[in-house]
Amino acid sequence: MKIFRTLFFVTVIFITAVNISFGQNSTLKINFEHYANGKKIVLSDSSYNNIFGEQYFIKKLRYYVSNLKVNGQAFTEDSLNYHLIDLAKSTSIKLPLTAGKYNKLVFMLGVDSSRNCSGIQQGALDPAKDMFWTWNTGYVVFKLEGTSSSSNADRNRIEHHVGGYRFGNNISQFITFNIGEVVLKPDSISEITINVNLDRYWDAVNTIRISEDPICTLPGTLAKKIAANFPAMFTVKPE
Amino acid sequence: MLQIFLQCLQLNPSKFISIKLFTTILFTFLFVFLCSLAIQKPTPLPLQIPKGWPKPPTDIFKNNKPTVEGFALGRQLFYDGNLSSDGNISCESCHQQFASFATFDHDLSHGVNNTFSTRNAPALFNLAWMEGYHWDGGINHIEVQPVHPFTSPNEMGETIENVLAKLNSNAEYRSMFKAAFGDEEATSERLMKSLAQFTGSIVSSNSKYDKVMRGEDEFNNIEKKGYELFKQNCSSCHKEPLFTDNSYRNNGMPLNRFNDVGRMLVTGRSSDSLKFKVPSLRNIQVSYPYMHDGSIFSVPQVVDHYLELSFENNPFIDTVFKRKIELTPRQKNELIYFLYALTDSTLLKDERFGPPKRIF
Repeated sequence: MKIFRTLFFVTVIFITAVNISFGQNSTLKINFEHYANGKKIVLSDSSYNNIFGEQYFIKKLRYYVSNLKVNGQAFTEDSLNYHLIDLAKSTSIKLPLTAGKYNKLVFMLGVDSSRNCSGIQQGALDPAKDMFWTWNTGYVVFKLEGTSSSSNADRNRIEHHVGGYRFGNNISQFITFNIGEVVLKPDSISEITINVNLDRYWDAVNTIRISEDPICTLPGTLAKKIAANFPAMFTVKPE
Repeated sequence: MLQIFLQCLQLNPSKFISIKLFTTILFTFLFVFLCSLAIQKPTPLPLQIPKGWPKPPTDIFKNNKPTVEGFALGRQLFYDGNLSSDGNISCESCHQQFASFATFDHDLSHGVNNTFSTRNAPALFNLAWMEGYHWDGGINHIEVQPVHPFTSPNEMGETIENVLAKLNSNAEYRSMFKAAFGDEEATSERLMKSLAQFTGSIVSSNSKYDKVMRGEDEFNNIEKKGYELFKQNCSSCHKEPLFTDNSYRNNGMPLNRFNDVGRMLVTGRSSDSLKFKVPSLRNIQVSYPYMHDGSIFSVPQVVDHYLELSFENNPFIDTVFKRKIELTPRQKNELIYFLYALTDSTLLKDERFGPPKRIF
């Protein structure tokens, strides 16, 4: 019977040890809310105007958020580190954290260059997620597809596949947020919301006109021009 | 068993020792048996680097060590037309073994629904020594290459999700995935890795040329002269022993009807316009037609193309052509005879790379 007793104690010790080392029993939920013209974005059905008066509809809006750090604490596990925000599917990220106070959030809008050139990836980076260039290896970082009567492309489409990881064309960038003071209690979930303002997509550091650039499907000058506007789109929602 | 267990719980002191001994032995056996189940690992199948060859520039199998089971799965997938949207097109449709895994006698290849490719299907061998895939080098890793033919509307015309759904609904495939990766679910990662194990293991190193280099055979007089002419005129780009230097060059092929600018599509640099990958010359006897669009149908015509090239008339071609290639008709034949000595008939018939016994 000694063996059963030993086994019992080993199990108890193991479970306790696991609980201690995985003490991240609270969750920080980061919600992404997407706006245009001050309204929450609805796919396909609603139209919006950019600052140049160009009316457009949105069919797809997706982008990669990775390399998250909350108060300097990084997440190395892939499923916690790479996230595809997709307006049609998932627009929030759940991070396991220890209870405490947090005030700073950093993430990369993009995908590390190493993940672009080290073969097949899983999870959010699975090429089946339709964010992968099949003929010129690399990830689309930000995908905006829709239509606009201002677009002179085939069937009035807007097709912005913004990406690029090679030197000189890299558009992945870190964005830092001051999130005030978020208090995470033990075994509880706290939420913060990041506003994503699509009005700034067309007009921030650079101006992007649908009439001039309805299509962007390659890394390079135009992709970099659009990507320069990304940081202005993301702000923390005030409490 | 249950009885023994119950007896054990009743703690009958008279029987306790023998039962304890018995259960210990029983559990030991059970433990060993379960372990052997868990440890049933796939058998490694490492890449064999032919004697005297350079090491591959990068290790394509760094995160994907080939195994007998992974290779077998890759081979099964390679030959399976059911994975395309109309059920007709497999990898092998365009990469036929008897043509050293190019499309035999086709300038362009056929995709689903009677579509055509816009480039000539490249031969598949010695991929482990390549630094980029496709004629323009747009693919940076062997594992992500199949995503393109699977999803291109003029190749297999399918979505990765559908391919995985087909595989996951097939019990035979599920058991092959289990054998190769320890789990029966087909995922993008396992799909691409098993294909890479198969295609990346195809090595062509047994042509007459290789046998001569290993001292097992001798060139005849014509081949010998051809080899000298090859070294003088061709080997700077078609570097031995792989017969390519993995570079991208403008070899004077004009802009075709598809406006295919080659490497420039990938880099965006106008200086890369009309540059294409230098293909290996191994097996060219069986991999015709030639060039990125398959527009030259025979080896003599390819040689003629280079004899006619003039750097003065076309300053955009590669500077290697500043020195004009000049051959007499006799020398031309000698060169061609040498090129035919690069045919690896072992590879063309190697059953390991041939069709599996049955398509699921």
